[in-house]
Amino acid sequence: MAPQYKLTYFDVGGTAEVSRYLFSYGGIEFEDVRIKRENWAQLKDKTPFGALPTLEHNGKVVGQSVAIARYLAKKVKLVGDDDWENLEIDAIVDTINDIRLKVFPIFMEKDEAKKKALIETLKNDTFGFYLPRLEAEVQKNKGYLVLGRLTWADFYFTTLSPMFDLITGEDVLASYPNLKGVKEKVNALPVIKKWIEIRPKSHA
Amino acid sequence: MMEGACIKRTRKSINIFNTTEEMAPAYKLTYFPVEALAEPIRFLFSYGGIEFEDFRFDRENWPQMKPNMPFGQVPVLEHNGKVAHQSIAMARYAAKKAKLVGNDEWEDLEIDAIVDTVNDLRQKIALYHYEADAAVKESRKEPLFKETLPYYLQRLDAVVKANNGHLALGKLTWADLYFVAILKYLNSMCGGNDILADYPNLTALKNTVLELPAIKTWVEKRPNTDM
Repeated sequence: MAPQYKLTYFDVGGTAEVSRYLFSYGGIEFEDVRIKRENWAQLKDKTPFGALPTLEHNGKVVGQSVAIARYLAKKVKLVGDDDWENLEIDAIVDTINDIRLKVFPIFMEKDEAKKKALIETLKNDTFGFYLPRLEAEVQKNKGYLVLGRLTWADFYFTTLSPMFDLITGEDVLASYPNLKGVKEKVNALPVIKKWIEIRPKSHA
Repeated sequence: MMEGACIKRTRKSINIFNTTEEMAPAYKLTYFPVEALAEPIRFLFSYGGIEFEDFRFDRENWPQMKPNMPFGQVPVLEHNGKVAHQSIAMARYAAKKAKLVGNDEWEDLEIDAIVDTVNDLRQKIALYHYEADAAVKESRKEPLFKETLPYYLQRLDAVVKANNGHLALGKLTWADLYFVAILKYLNSMCGGNDILADYPNLTALKNTVLELPAIKTWVEKRPNTDM
């Protein structure tokens, strides 16, 4: 039977990788559709709001990477035990997303001098502000980002953190051993290790 | 025990039918003295009949307060000795308490996706409004008003048309309250015009939400601010 879920994104990790990790973690079959950038212009207006990723299931289509990841997290039971615990997870995810929003536009900057300046500001103001605080959260939470145990927040951080190194050309987590530990722990999970082995090699 | 030794702050009012104890509200919401990103949470608590302390600090106190916030931002929500942050996460929590959520995980996904889309629009408007460089700001004006706003508002208007006058699930959800609660903020960032002027279904939704008795009561009693 065809998989019940179809996830559509570009041929990169980006904001879809967290969902690919969650599908893999839960052993849930999914169609991993990767579109080429040159085809995006024609496909854009077929999506709900002109953005990817989208998730199709039972004839319905939704967008928004974090919303999709939260849905899958519930399916694979990487969520809190009550509303307040889920608020704590959601808040850390949104905080990591705030970092992503500062990183993303810099990739688009064409002026090399401007780009260099933006990267310096990113390192000093954004990473310098957020990463020590997230590092402290992991220390407080026995090696996890929230609730003292594995949640989808750890998957979210792991799959977005590659872009920190990509934009700076540095090992950004080198001075954050606890955050690095989260990433290593998640990527060492047998099902995730397997996913990393089998995912398309074109994947950035 | 001597009466004077009791230090718990309670007031007892005894009436013929029952005894009620009044205590400080279970929730304290802290924000700037504006609607903006805290207003959805205020709407949702009000709709759910959930008492909350609506604490608005003076702007000049912000520099001292900022380092004490979880990630240097407000709003924050205090409850049972814990402090939460991130406005949308807190709105989702309030929505669950107010029972304005979906009946299953897919329904909640549909609501979340619309709320995040509205938030995307807010961020794009904010990129224009808060730009410090006047030339850069001017260059962002036309794309925002001629392309971005119509792109989102046309689609959101169509969603409301297809959903029985609501933003998701064909019925009232927290997506509706979220959208209407930040409207004044969006309008003020867009220069004070009514961005919904050309969108009849979104305008009708705004009126639907503002006519809800609990929301009407809240809007009448809340401090009057520009955004």
